[in-house]
Amino acid sequence: MPKFPGIKGIFLDEDPLMEQGSKGLKGISIPDCGLKKSDLKKDESAYIDAKYIRKSPPELPEVSEPTVVRHFTRLSSWNMCVDTVFYPLGSCTMKYNPKINEKIASLENIKNLHPLTPGSLIQPVLKMVYDFNEILCRLTGLAEFSFAPQAGAAGEFAGLKIIKKYFDLKGENRKTILVPDSSHGTNPASSVLAGFTPVEIKTGKAGTLDAGELEKFVSKDVAGIMITNPNTFGVFEKDIKKIAEIMHKNGSFIYMDGANFNAFLGSARVSDMGIDLIQLNLHKTFSTPHGGGGPGSGALGVVESLREFLPVPYVKKVSGENTAGADKNFNRQVYELAEDKNNTIGKMTPFLCNFAVVIRAYAYLLSLGRENIASVSELAVLNANYVKKKLGKILSDPGPFEEGLCMHECVFNDKAIEENGISTIELAKLLIDYGFHPPTVYFPKNIRGAIMIEPTETESIRTLDNFIKAVKEIRFKTKKSKAVKSPQKTKVGRVNEVLANKHPIFKY
Amino acid sequence: MNNFRYFPNSKKDIAKLYRILGIKDKKELFGKILGGIPLMEAGILKALPEEMDEEALYRFFLNIDSNIPAKNKTAVFAGGGIYNHFVPAAIDGLMSRSEFYTPYTPYQPEVSQGTLFALFEFQSMIAEILGMDVVNASMYDGAESLAEAVLAAMRLSSANRDLPAGHKDDLILISEGVNPNYTSVIKTFAGGTGVKIGKIKLNGQTGQTDIEDLKQKLANGGRVPAVVVQQPNYLGVIEDLEEIEPLIHSDSNSSFIVSSTEPYSFGVINPPGFYNADIFAGEGNSFGNYMNFGGPLLGLFAAKKEYVRQMPGRIVGKTKDGKDRDAYAFILSTREQHIRRGAATSNICTNSSLNAVRAAIYLSLCSKSGFKEIASLNLKLAHILRDRLLSSGLFEPLYEGDFFNEFSLKLKIKGNKHNNNITASEFIEKMAERDILAGIAISESAVLISATENNGLSDIEKYAENAKEVLNA
Repeated sequence: MPKFPGIKGIFLDEDPLMEQGSKGLKGISIPDCGLKKSDLKKDESAYIDAKYIRKSPPELPEVSEPTVVRHFTRLSSWNMCVDTVFYPLGSCTMKYNPKINEKIASLENIKNLHPLTPGSLIQPVLKMVYDFNEILCRLTGLAEFSFAPQAGAAGEFAGLKIIKKYFDLKGENRKTILVPDSSHGTNPASSVLAGFTPVEIKTGKAGTLDAGELEKFVSKDVAGIMITNPNTFGVFEKDIKKIAEIMHKNGSFIYMDGANFNAFLGSARVSDMGIDLIQLNLHKTFSTPHGGGGPGSGALGVVESLREFLPVPYVKKVSGENTAGADKNFNRQVYELAEDKNNTIGKMTPFLCNFAVVIRAYAYLLSLGRENIASVSELAVLNANYVKKKLGKILSDPGPFEEGLCMHECVFNDKAIEENGISTIELAKLLIDYGFHPPTVYFPKNIRGAIMIEPTETESIRTLDNFIKAVKEIRFKTKKSKAVKSPQKTKVGRVNEVLANKHPIFKY
Repeated sequence: MNNFRYFPNSKKDIAKLYRILGIKDKKELFGKILGGIPLMEAGILKALPEEMDEEALYRFFLNIDSNIPAKNKTAVFAGGGIYNHFVPAAIDGLMSRSEFYTPYTPYQPEVSQGTLFALFEFQSMIAEILGMDVVNASMYDGAESLAEAVLAAMRLSSANRDLPAGHKDDLILISEGVNPNYTSVIKTFAGGTGVKIGKIKLNGQTGQTDIEDLKQKLANGGRVPAVVVQQPNYLGVIEDLEEIEPLIHSDSNSSFIVSSTEPYSFGVINPPGFYNADIFAGEGNSFGNYMNFGGPLLGLFAAKKEYVRQMPGRIVGKTKDGKDRDAYAFILSTREQHIRRGAATSNICTNSSLNAVRAAIYLSLCSKSGFKEIASLNLKLAHILRDRLLSSGLFEPLYEGDFFNEFSLKLKIKGNKHNNNITASEFIEKMAERDILAGIAISESAVLISATENNGLSDIEKYAENAKEVLNA
């Protein structure tokens, strides 16, 4: 058994850069643009009306390059991250972010490409987006994707706007979107933003949505249902096909929150479940880094009948069914950025998409290829079930699900740890001192003191065992007095959030 | 099952996992879970591309990279919402640290102080540049941020009037000087609320928002929760916000929203806070981020302190830990979807955090003097370029208003034809073949052109000479 990674070490403290300045210093090399000295000296009022000119420049720090580099390097050392620790944050799919994808996204011409460069010069880039779209269609069984949504919530919003517009055009005023009470907070929030009223349905005892229960909510006011599958307990919605049938019979849509798509990647298609729309969080399932909160990409896929509603612009293939050879060196204009979607919900973003995220996701898929892609979901599901089984013995209560299998993540309640007086948040903070990032806690809301663990496919049994051992120690050996003080090995201790909210300080 | 390099469980480990779970193989595992839903057919998988080894993968993308305009040859004078600024190597060096790019949103503050502190510094520096009270920890991009600003203003206006948030009688006034893509995104977002969207014309001579038109539209009665202008505007022209602001604030239920796609301008011109803007929502990509073919970008959102409860997105605040040490955490989270669900101010969760950290690093490197110096350089280069192009006799001005680093020109008409009878977009295409991204065609005959510190005098000369050849050919 490996040692726990959390040991004592030096934390380097660091003052705000604002306090480290010295007048006149700067850390940037300003390009020599060849301007004459006389021009460089000229006052701005020689160019524009003096009334517009800012009298005092913004008070930025005055620091050199090494000071900036040391400052931010020290800051970075205060973060836990996927590359340093096991990061089993449920519903977030914190898998390994391949380094080659970073190298590819940093290719000089790609990262410096202006989005309004004439189409004839950027054929390879447009082809890439087009081809990736086709792959996502194959993996889901849907007809077309839009990369316009910048994150999962934006994908949800776009999907719901499409549903809204569909009914508007049909002259039907349907106002309700059904959401299970275990859904991500973004689901009801996106529903409201798209002009709907979200109505919550209680999940059944097994942690899934019961088709019979759903029937009670069905009316001509229901535009659709948003369902996370596997749901936020990590459980597959067994009635999914029936739910889709009920919705379709009612003329409504079934939107799947694809945040948990990692459980299906290469193993099952959402079209076989009857899904009409889904957003794929490329920053989860497709390995692009989370960046400490973003950016991401929430590519939205739809069935054939909704293609014309997708956001614009999109990449359109305009010529040549058989262009082999002819466009091998990208000499012909085969692809263009088009806006000709008859019922489009409009634009979501100023340009095409979060391209640098999309390219990483595409590189990830090409790395895996058809040989390995199905292993992603298999290993993710295996790992989660292993944790569920092992921790089930320690945290005793099976939680929301009976004895069945989970998918990519598992959820426990706080009943077992409560026996030795430890709360969920204390468990989370104790795990930090062992050298693990805590699981998602207190979500889903309908599980008491929920502890939600998603190991992903990029963790070994060895790591999982180490984590399980830590939970076991906490469960059976840790005293309350230690729990309330944790974490103790971090840069700062438990943060006073009451103070932070009572007397908010937003800036220096 | 193959052993692929991203999977740390060996075949033996996997066999062990199956054994412990008491399951034979994948078919049984997924069969038990999925019930009637079939496993993906082999034929579907077969249609996917073959696995690529790392070197082949790199070459595949390198081939793409070498078949698009090359950074070392292309002079980029296109702007229109995204600008070709210099990015110091120190940013890429710092951003290659996994500790910044591989964590999730800092929901556990004790193990996320690095990102939280950096975002706090980002908020502080952006607040200083904009002259605004509160800046959030980023939105997706300028357009989405602006759309959310309009929704926030609508909520504020309803709250002020003590009315339910029905908006059938509301009118949002958007200047025609706002980037048309931004206006489109506002329409996508506000469309469902029933609010009407009206335009404010531009003054044909200056290119600024027309004050008389604004006055008239405000006097037409009706509720106007927000008036939106962009600084500098889409055509590059600096708006006279001093004249506009009091007109809007004569109605206490109206919010004055200022947007910008180029906040670098606030190194030279007065920032939105100086003109008493209620909300600023715009693009921050110019600060240390690459153009990346248009995304991810960096949405900036700022407001007056009294409106903070209506702000979308995350905000980092400074606080203390149990031992009275400085600490940082997300604050006022009750505005957000993960707490408030359907009643949240926005559905945003993932934002542009990493780009915001890039901006914090960039602005620190620039420092007080560098920021002003680069802003000033942009102003001067753009003026030199415009003068040079006008003196060639091939262009004529579209507007006379003052500008920062972007301006629009018309191709001069010879007789009843344009130069060489070519349109603005043909001009752009032909210039692009000569490794010059000459701008953006904004009409049949007009071009929007920007200059940054990445285009020195030699690039300007190259532009002018090639334009001459293209237009006289």
